[in-house]
Amino acid sequence: MAASLTRLLERSLRTTHAPQSSVRLFSNGSQKQQQQQPEVEDEEEFRVLNLRPVKQQFQRRRDIRRDDVTPPRTTRMAVDQDWTAAWPGPRSFHPASVPLPLRQGFTERGAAAPSKFANAELMKIPNFLHLTPPAIRQQCEAIKKFCTPWPKGLETEAKWKPHFPVEVITTDYCQSLPTVRNPEARRVTVSLKLSDLKFDNHARDKFLRLVGERYNKETDVLTFVTDRCPLRKQNYDYALYLLTACYHESFVTEPWEATKSEADMELYLFERNQAKRSAEAILNWNAAEGAPKKAASASYAQCVEQLINEGENEYNLAKYKEEVMKMLNVAAQ
Amino acid sequence: MNFLKKLAPHIALAESQICKSADLHTSAVCCRVQSGRYRITTKRNRPLTYEMANPPHFIAHRKSWNSWNTSTLLDSQRPAQTAVEDLFIRKFITGTWHALTCSEIIIKRQHNTIRIASIIRQAISPRKMYFLIGYTEELLSYWMQCPVTLELQTVADKKDVVFKYI
Repeated sequence: MAASLTRLLERSLRTTHAPQSSVRLFSNGSQKQQQQQPEVEDEEEFRVLNLRPVKQQFQRRRDIRRDDVTPPRTTRMAVDQDWTAAWPGPRSFHPASVPLPLRQGFTERGAAAPSKFANAELMKIPNFLHLTPPAIRQQCEAIKKFCTPWPKGLETEAKWKPHFPVEVITTDYCQSLPTVRNPEARRVTVSLKLSDLKFDNHARDKFLRLVGERYNKETDVLTFVTDRCPLRKQNYDYALYLLTACYHESFVTEPWEATKSEADMELYLFERNQAKRSAEAILNWNAAEGAPKKAASASYAQCVEQLINEGENEYNLAKYKEEVMKMLNVAAQ
Repeated sequence: MNFLKKLAPHIALAESQICKSADLHTSAVCCRVQSGRYRITTKRNRPLTYEMANPPHFIAHRKSWNSWNTSTLLDSQRPAQTAVEDLFIRKFITGTWHALTCSEIIIKRQHNTIRIASIIRQAISPRKMYFLIGYTEELLSYWMQCPVTLELQTVADKKDVVFKYI
């Protein structure tokens, strides 16, 4: 339809401008029409209004020229090639780059597993082709220049332990996320042996009361776990602050501490109990006025403390009996 | 509406019956599981890839996961965002490489890097393929705000990935 209209219009134009016969109003781009035009001019009488132009010769489909697909790189690989150069970093499996006859996949009994070409399963699983022993050796050689020798005199744990009494434990998280932050990484654990700190009797007692559950009696280890601040640095500072503050506070004697009664004692002490007074009363029986007072022996004090602190058992009771008999000068039968 | 009005007393009756009796449901569970499973055709001519040939309960036995990341571990961060991003990446790639992807899109995340692997048909010229790789990497890395790498494998024909016909 459009083609015939164009032709009509073109003709009317041609009659007005006679010399310019090859003016084209619309660029149809088909060669055929231009070839037809001389015919139309010849047979001016019997022009056919072709409403449904029949496609006389449809264009042949152009063949898509494809470049030759290059054969897999593995066919050109030398046997003694440098594999670290062929596979330098982590990468999904590619069959054309790995010269191994790999197969992966489940098949029914008897059938061969799918080959490495067009095998999505091999692309899924993480591979360590970039971490072959030669590659690791190469990388270790490369970073060796940044290493410093291990300090002398700190070879074994027994040797370095006294120099580093405080142990700080933190956790780093590796995750497949666009962010490197992880709220769990803020936790800091600071632990040390209580025997590394110097105390007097009062300070030790007060310190243990201050730290409470953080002290493990079995292992003699004191542990501070801090996670209340958002950042690791803050938590580390806070843990060290807690340790310092508790240590120094334990040496302060408050005025109300003098009112500590027998019920508040955590241990039975011979020195401040009735047992001492009774023993002294027995030992100083009928003593002359002004004579030096006899005190109970240290071994007796120790065995009484042991008996009450550890509880009554065969050994403690026998020891107590022995000490009492010794104190009262009673001969054993 | 009239129909509903008629139905109202029946519903009330049924409700009262349900409330009265506390029955046990003893028959087998009838929920149908269909996702990831393909029906056998009469002519046995439906092509299946290895991925399609193994239904989802074979994951970790015969086939492995298509998304590899740490978000689904216990107590890790943003599992939902990662899942949605993976879905978006899959849609974007199947749309950009239109009618060219022959396998599932495999998305592996390592730290902040996203590595996308897939099998592509050799239907377009290498020049166009290089353009599409750059285009996909550029746009995805802009949207995900992290480096994206495309690791493609090409096959000459769609039939190369067919594992079996059912």
